[in-house]
Amino acid sequence: MAEQNSAVLPRGAVREEFNNAIEKFRALLGGENVLVNADQLAPYNKVMMSVENAAHAASAALTATTVEQVQGVVRICNEHKIPIWTISTGRNFGYGSAAPIQRGQVILDLKKMNKIIKIDAEMCYALVEPGVTYGQLYDHITENKLPLMLSFSAPSAIAGPLGNTMDRGVGYTPYGEHFMMQCGMEVVLASGDIYRTGMGGVKGSNTWQIFKWGYGPTLDGMFTQANYGITTKMGFWLMPKPPVFKPFEVIFDNEEDIVEIVEILRPLRISGTIPNSVVIANVLWEAGSAHLRRSQYITEPGHTPDPILKKMQHDTGMGAWNLYAALYGTQEQVDADWKIVVDAFNKLGKGRIVTQKEAGDTQPFKYRAELMSGVPNLQEFGLYNWRGGGGSMWFAPVSEARGSECEKQARLAKRILHKYGLDYVAEFIVGPRDMHHVIDVLFDRTDAEETKRADACFNELLDEFEKEGYAVYRVNTRFQQRVAQSYGSVKRDVEHAIKRALDPNNILAPGRSGIDLDTYKKA
Amino acid sequence: MSDFLSGKVTKRMLFATVLPFALVTASIQAMADGQWGSGKNLYDKLCGLCHAPNVGVGPVIAGRGLPEAYIKSVVRNGLNAMPAFSASYIDDKSIGQVTEYLSSLPTPATQP
Repeated sequence: MAEQNSAVLPRGAVREEFNNAIEKFRALLGGENVLVNADQLAPYNKVMMSVENAAHAASAALTATTVEQVQGVVRICNEHKIPIWTISTGRNFGYGSAAPIQRGQVILDLKKMNKIIKIDAEMCYALVEPGVTYGQLYDHITENKLPLMLSFSAPSAIAGPLGNTMDRGVGYTPYGEHFMMQCGMEVVLASGDIYRTGMGGVKGSNTWQIFKWGYGPTLDGMFTQANYGITTKMGFWLMPKPPVFKPFEVIFDNEEDIVEIVEILRPLRISGTIPNSVVIANVLWEAGSAHLRRSQYITEPGHTPDPILKKMQHDTGMGAWNLYAALYGTQEQVDADWKIVVDAFNKLGKGRIVTQKEAGDTQPFKYRAELMSGVPNLQEFGLYNWRGGGGSMWFAPVSEARGSECEKQARLAKRILHKYGLDYVAEFIVGPRDMHHVIDVLFDRTDAEETKRADACFNELLDEFEKEGYAVYRVNTRFQQRVAQSYGSVKRDVEHAIKRALDPNNILAPGRSGIDLDTYKKA
Repeated sequence: MSDFLSGKVTKRMLFATVLPFALVTASIQAMADGQWGSGKNLYDKLCGLCHAPNVGVGPVIAGRGLPEAYIKSVVRNGLNAMPAFSASYIDDKSIGQVTEYLSSLPTPATQP
């Protein structure tokens, strides 16, 4: 069988050793679950980053269906020093998709572990396996008329809660900070042991998905954006579906309005008057998700000039900034909060408020309202059509929820993107005290020159933001090593000490968030 | 989506709001039928979220007589912004089913 195996090998692996491991994987999982042919591996190699696919090509992919199989995979990897890259649904678009961080890593694909293990509609939580998608959960909740509401990121229907939460992704409802709503993980460690966080280690406990902290050190966060274990179950809290949901938009005409938007929003968010993860989308984000294409307005290469953006605003009624938020509760609660919100924006004297009744089924209001009420859609993928060519990398620095800071970041990002002939396509999201300043670095990946520019641009964004004391909260696999450096050497030392203790053979996703025993301080 | 909780099965067992572990076991049965149960289900729950005529994110694929080999190639490899899907996500049988379903749909008024 050896001659059928992939030409790609894990870093430092010897062909014979690799082939032996593959044979053991076949014995454990069945041949149909050990993928080594190029056509089988191609779906795992579709990336959107500014680098050739080959840099993130897997040597094999394994599909497991049970925790015991995951334990078996880990055992074989230890025996043969084979590095594995675990995915749940593999839908981490713009962050690396399903591809491994290093060429040659073996993908452990857990999509087939797709059981909704438990939903408790009274205690409002779910316990799921890695392959469960938000679409699957939505169907289940809808079919069974459960009084619950999901929170998810924009790829909603096809992505899943476990993967999104483990990468500390966010959504748009009051439960939009997903890791905050996580409660209880089951993790297969490199030793093969099964570790349950929080109350999960207590025999007979019924509070694993109820009480997060357990006893002693609380380690859940250690497994997110990390490579210390393979999460095979995760619990998370679900929001009760409110009797009244009132989405709204406030449209602002000028770029500099971001200062006042954030200032007026912060107290409303901190007080809980506006409870959800508010979005403030700029004109190009709005345009992309409403299916405008750059080619409709300009054919010259480079960034889209401001007068064109103004023309787009004039033609469509979109704002330079477009705030989307919602109120949730009983009619009395929503009415009271609505008055506070309207009064606040009236006092500001800026911003056109649009209600659901006024917007009707127009986009992007419709899909924004759906995301804020837990209804999945893929409308936001329209962003990828703005420039075309399939290149997308999220640059997502954290900002204070302070108007002057958001404006400073917006100006800095726009200047750098324009220098490289790319557009500033951005939204501020989450709050109440922070803003994830999420920028989609869109480029034509079929154009080698533009791809090279996008790569240089992303590096400069990281460098220049770091000089101002800013860093991203999450990044694609091409830049994880670079971003790890932004957070300081002591943090990295600690992370590698933990790695040595838990995974001395460095088999679990080496390189994830810059944690790699084979390279750290070895140069 | 048939590899997920079946509506009928679930409803029978959902007298209580708390679902036991044993509830969620439809996936093995569904595998024999194709992961997605039918081409319509796959289109409604996945493909159509971008490609339905009233969405407009991706090109319309219904009623165009697209061959199975072409659909499979795009599904497995992706195309520009279209993501790739492995067999663990969409199995070959489901691709065949959705091809058949797409061919059964009316030709779009305007070809993309």
